[in-house]
Amino acid sequence: MERPYLLYGLLLIVLNIKIIKMSQTQVSQYRLSTGIRGMDQLLQGGLLPNQTYLVRGGPGSGKTTLGFHFLTAGQSNGENTLFITLVETEQKLRHNATGMGFDVEAIPILDLSPNPELFTQLHTYDIFSPAEVERGPITQQIIEQVETIEPQRVFVDSITQFRYLAPDSFQFRRQVNAFLEFLIARNITVLLSSEFALQAPDEDLQFIIDGIINLESSPDERSLNVSKFRGSEFTKGRHTMRLSARGIEVFPKLIPQPYGAELSSVELISSGIPEIDELLEGGVERGTITLITGPSGVGKTTLGMQFTKEAAGRGERSVVYTFEEARETLLRRCELINIPVQAMIERGTLSVVKLEPLALTPDEFANQVRLEVEEQGSNLIMIDSTSGYQLSFQKQELTRNLHGLCKYLQSQGVTTLLINEVESITGDFRATELGISYIADNIIFLRYLEYQGGIRKAIGVLKKRLSNFEKTMREIEITRYGIKVGNPLTQLRGILTGTPEVIDNSLNNH
Amino acid sequence: MSAQPTILIVAYNPRNLELLAQFLGEAGYQVRQASGLEGFEQILTTLPNLQFALIDISGFDQDIWESCKQLQTAQIPFLVISPYSSAVIEQQSLVSGARSVLIKPLTSQKLLGLINSLLAQQP
Repeated sequence: MERPYLLYGLLLIVLNIKIIKMSQTQVSQYRLSTGIRGMDQLLQGGLLPNQTYLVRGGPGSGKTTLGFHFLTAGQSNGENTLFITLVETEQKLRHNATGMGFDVEAIPILDLSPNPELFTQLHTYDIFSPAEVERGPITQQIIEQVETIEPQRVFVDSITQFRYLAPDSFQFRRQVNAFLEFLIARNITVLLSSEFALQAPDEDLQFIIDGIINLESSPDERSLNVSKFRGSEFTKGRHTMRLSARGIEVFPKLIPQPYGAELSSVELISSGIPEIDELLEGGVERGTITLITGPSGVGKTTLGMQFTKEAAGRGERSVVYTFEEARETLLRRCELINIPVQAMIERGTLSVVKLEPLALTPDEFANQVRLEVEEQGSNLIMIDSTSGYQLSFQKQELTRNLHGLCKYLQSQGVTTLLINEVESITGDFRATELGISYIADNIIFLRYLEYQGGIRKAIGVLKKRLSNFEKTMREIEITRYGIKVGNPLTQLRGILTGTPEVIDNSLNNH
Repeated sequence: MSAQPTILIVAYNPRNLELLAQFLGEAGYQVRQASGLEGFEQILTTLPNLQFALIDISGFDQDIWESCKQLQTAQIPFLVISPYSSAVIEQQSLVSGARSVLIKPLTSQKLLGLINSLLAQQP
């Protein structure tokens, strides 16, 4: 009777050891940098060594450039690398790479591209198929180079050319498989480029490869997505990519991580104006999203800047992204109403960034914000305005992108101010016309109202998720000494219509 | 008579000729080459120890068939290689004494098998 238990116990021990071993290898996974910072982020640190990767894309999508990043990263890491080209000549490749600032001096290039004599000599053949004639010599050259250089990284540009060296797709798949096995057996990390076209599908390759990076380009935007990565997690989705004269930059989409101390320590951020703090019952909570909404010229930006002034007073850094107003105009107008922006900028507690429409994609913008938060330690981000944001990133999903950004900021404990302009000056009241009010934790609204023939302004709070707030409105005025807010407008009714009436208090007094 | 059979190859395209010669050489045959009718006829008149011939007809005119007939008279087996499948070429080749007609591109293993079996039939 004892025996089975003994065996069972042994089995458990063995299993435990195995599990411990597995978790250990998971932790100590060594990653190879792709040479592109954003891409390493997507890949949880980089490529897993000794695996095969495929970079797919149409003409001009940046496949070769990615290859250069991959090889130069290896080179600077002290590894041996090898570039195998079947399309472009070595001379052209070196020229282009140097033009983009890659140091390719030390990278050996195996040039298997057709030489110009082929065209002039007319010595083409038709007696045997190319698969029979070319494969042997090409394979021989590759084997020789790999064995003399002993590289750790190999880039093949492009594997599509190999297809013509195989009589049929079955042979092609077998040959590629064997080729990859040959490289893997020598502890090489392989990157293959594949010219993706409808005429030449590469689905067969995708099955035998460990990781796939897809490059897409449209007239407006280039993007990159990872569709397969054996043995590792990766950030899914399309990420903006920039291909410039300096190479590739990747801007990973922001995926908010849960913020640990979300509700446990609710710290109130004062606006610096006692009456507004009274409206907000103390201020806005740190790490929340506040929408400041109102018609044109009512003082939304000024109110937002007031928050940055107060933050600067606490020694915190704020960043203001302005989409519409010129930076200088904004700065001058703040100085005029007693917000010392110049001094704040000099002390590093404020940064005002003017964004040109269509210059950036939402992902690039989000990454810019992310750098501000993670590297400069900014605590307050103001986006002026949401409609400017929408205009700048045309054809993009406004709410999804803005939502992603705000949630990210929230997760970092950064307070966000969104300035939102509504078109109607008076009349039917709407908090926002873009359908983004659900993102906001707090909504502060500003209104024009006509009273006794004059235009006055009022401020109120419409929503506050984390605390109560004052339900009445107050008059607000922007003077050269700053924002002045009056007492609650309890003697008026119909303020939201824009044409309030005086409640006859004399009746109550009787 | 040398141990290795000698094969005559005739082709107008020099690269084709080169590839065929290289391939047959690697397979262990002695190779005689001709890239034009004159060369072909010169070899025919001297008639060295030929066991077999491969004639790539692309680039030649009708006169090639006369030379082929000479091969037939000399009882040297040969194959005609044609750039495309054509009933006229096929008929003309067989009339001129070819054992068979091969259509390009050739598969090296098949060609080798064919040559070996044809040579094995020889006395």
